[in-house]
Amino acid sequence: MLETRDLTLGYDRRPVLERLSLQIPEGRVTAILGPNGCGKSTLLKALARLSAPQAGAVLLAGEPLGQYDSRALARRLAILPQSPVAPEGITVRDLVRRGRIPWRGLLGPWRDSDEAACREALAAVALEDLATRPLAALSGGQRQRAWIALVLAQTPRHLLLDEPTTFLDLVHQIEVLRLLQRLNRDRGLTVVSVLHDLSLAARFSDHLILLGPDGLVAEGAPSAVLTPDTLHAAFGLSALVHPDPVSGTPMVIPC
Amino acid sequence: MRRLLLMLLALLALCALALMRGQLALSPLQLWQGLSGAEGPAHLVLAVIRGPRVAAALGTGAALGLSGMLFQTLFRNPLAAPDLMGFTSGAGLAIVLAMTLGLGLPVPLVAALGGLIAAALVLLLAWKPGQALAPLVLVLVGLGVGFLTQAASSFLMTALPPEQAADAQRWLTGSLNARNWGHVALLAAGLAVLGLLALSQIRRLEALDLGEELAAGLGLHPGRARIAIAVTGVLLAALAVSVAGPLPFVALMAGPLGARLLGRTALAPRMAAAALTGAMIVVAADLLARATIPGLSLPAGVVTGLLGAPYLLWRLSREMKKGEL
Amino acid sequence: MRLLLLGAGLVAIMLLAMLAGARGIAPADLAALLGHYDPTDPAQITLLEIRLPRLVAGLIAGAALGVAGMVMQAVTRNPLADPGLLGVNAGAAFSLLLGATLLGRGDAASLSLLTLPGAGLAALAVFSLGGGLAGDAGPVRLTLAGVALNAFLLSLVSLLVLLRRESLDVFRFWVAGSLAEAGQRPLTGLALLALCGIVLALLLAPRLEALSLGGALARGLGTHPGRVLAGALLAVTLCTGAAVAVAGPIAFLGLVVPPLARRIMGTEMRGGLIAAALLGAGLLLLADIAGRLLIPPGEIRAGVMTALLGGPVFLWIARRLRPGEGA
Repeated sequence: MLETRDLTLGYDRRPVLERLSLQIPEGRVTAILGPNGCGKSTLLKALARLSAPQAGAVLLAGEPLGQYDSRALARRLAILPQSPVAPEGITVRDLVRRGRIPWRGLLGPWRDSDEAACREALAAVALEDLATRPLAALSGGQRQRAWIALVLAQTPRHLLLDEPTTFLDLVHQIEVLRLLQRLNRDRGLTVVSVLHDLSLAARFSDHLILLGPDGLVAEGAPSAVLTPDTLHAAFGLSALVHPDPVSGTPMVIPC
Repeated sequence: MRRLLLMLLALLALCALALMRGQLALSPLQLWQGLSGAEGPAHLVLAVIRGPRVAAALGTGAALGLSGMLFQTLFRNPLAAPDLMGFTSGAGLAIVLAMTLGLGLPVPLVAALGGLIAAALVLLLAWKPGQALAPLVLVLVGLGVGFLTQAASSFLMTALPPEQAADAQRWLTGSLNARNWGHVALLAAGLAVLGLLALSQIRRLEALDLGEELAAGLGLHPGRARIAIAVTGVLLAALAVSVAGPLPFVALMAGPLGARLLGRTALAPRMAAAALTGAMIVVAADLLARATIPGLSLPAGVVTGLLGAPYLLWRLSREMKKGEL
Repeated sequence: MRLLLLGAGLVAIMLLAMLAGARGIAPADLAALLGHYDPTDPAQITLLEIRLPRLVAGLIAGAALGVAGMVMQAVTRNPLADPGLLGVNAGAAFSLLLGATLLGRGDAASLSLLTLPGAGLAALAVFSLGGGLAGDAGPVRLTLAGVALNAFLLSLVSLLVLLRRESLDVFRFWVAGSLAEAGQRPLTGLALLALCGIVLALLLAPRLEALSLGGALARGLGTHPGRVLAGALLAVTLCTGAAVAVAGPIAFLGLVVPPLARRIMGTEMRGGLIAAALLGAGLLLLADIAGRLLIPPGEIRAGVMTALLGGPVFLWIARRLRPGEGA
């Protein structure tokens, strides 16, 4: 279980989020939503120990993240940052292999288990056929799937993604969100991602965390979190919320 | 105008100091007597050794400063100086090549040819059809051409007999040792012609500064104007190289420092300021090179290297803060 | 497999390095010459006293510089990074010369170690000046910072050489290195030093791969970017220090080797590092052999030959980079 306890985050002396206590439901898909600058990414980074809390703690299985050895943590929890850097000319397979770095020791021979994890990760994102291609030759959606395969190769139980659908067109956004949902259903992965599109987030998540300018607005099931009142509190937006005719999940209609 | 005058005074004071210091130190009175033609050791030192040396330093510095300023304005980038872009080392290579082959050609001609070829090479390699020249590409390619020409110079020097190689080495470092009035006359004539050429380009530079389209709208042929300015700049640099060798970083420093001392932006006074600052830098560097360590005369290029490198680093950090690198 | 081929190529070059030169040695005689010791045989003296030390020196300096270049390019994500271009070589040379000037002519082994502080400080300086420690240095900025640092340190080197009133040959050695004086260097110790650097780089290889994905993902993969950088800095220092103590400042090898190694081995770092070591050694030996054969009886220093090779490679990379142009 990944949870925060009285977590205060921020840069310099100005806290972005204060005394936040949240529980990320185990084995579910969670989306963090909110307007720009409300601390979505900051929260996600704190969940992955990429930024240190000003106060409070993030706990994994009851232990503060600070207590974990960084490689041991990387084997249980993976994060895909918003804009990772692709080394020039790298192939998809070589990129995915780098996900095994936390599993390799100082001398780090390449083991069968490493190979298996990479093969499985590539299969999960359906990129086996493109494994030998250079990353740069792939389409935007395929490239994002290759990056997801890298973090999958870490064989984590928790997968954190910072805006995994930004810069993708709608079809590829849905492709990535479906993939994350399938990874959750098939393997029981706990998925946490920062998303922008409210209706898509509601459609593909089990649990939403809605942040506003003054911190947490609401959390819980999509239909409970996305209401005209919460949307107004978080975004200052007047909107109607209707059930999606296909899935029945809440759909936000600005007015 | 007042600031230019002040800079001129500072330069004159620096020259006086440079004339007084050396193995045989002269008092201000001796300097006056020597200059006014009274026979004696002071006169001899001034007429044969220090006079031409300081005058050559003045001329080289002015030529390098002007050349740097032309390129920096042309490419609108403080890093676009002929020394960083490999033009001066191209001129240097040509001179070493002429030495190795035993060609009896006049040095300034050879240097000019070398500089022009290096500049053409840099432009050709940096140019990509259908794209505007980015100054940073130019600088990077220029650095590469500089590395290549320096390597070729070292290669050629291996083939020279030892005394000549030592000569070439001193020369490639940049030095004002043993310059005579012949060098000074060459510099003066070259500066007179090229300085006038540079002045005549001011209106074109001003128009180009407004951007390519507007310049064309003002009835200018941007391509031709650029080439004319670049050729003037290369010839100025080559003139300096043919007298003192490729003194590093002078052209890079003179323009921006001059503009800062001047505190104004009109092109004509900035040109004058760049020339004055360049002259100050080289006279001061040569003075430091021969008068800091008793009994040892360093090549002036070592001193401009020591002065210029920290300047370049400072400049880089500033450019970076402005977000241009 | 590819590494084996590279290794075989290197062995062939090593044989060539023993045979070729002003006094040629026939391949057939080589086994006999190496087999028994006869101090009066001039061919054997040439081989044992001159060519073998030179060969060993080329192996050490070449492998070390290849690896140092590879590590620097990985850390700075800049294909123009090279210990020679960025002033690390000059830093090593300067601190060695400064030490020799201040301490007098001590024994060669301890003097060689004096390269290390200079190389380390120069590497640290150029990384931080060029923004390399934050991992966001644009190629032009890092290269120019390196050029400035290099020019500064080389001016200091010239100053010291002139102060010591050394000959032109000594001066040239410190401007572009050479393998010609290999016999006078403490080769065993320096080989160990270079080996330490190479092994450290190999151990760091997976962490360097993580680092090249950007700081955030690297930390997500459980690495500490600060520690990896410190380790990389140490590896570069050891390699460059050893190389400069053996052969003087040889530039451009660290620039030319990494793209070749990447082309052969792909982006996998450990294989790439081994390939860089083999390629670096092979290229430096080839440069030395070519330098010996081009203008007999004179010879061209290996550092000049690598610079002649490196200039075009630099231009080629610079042209592809095209900084400052819209994406």
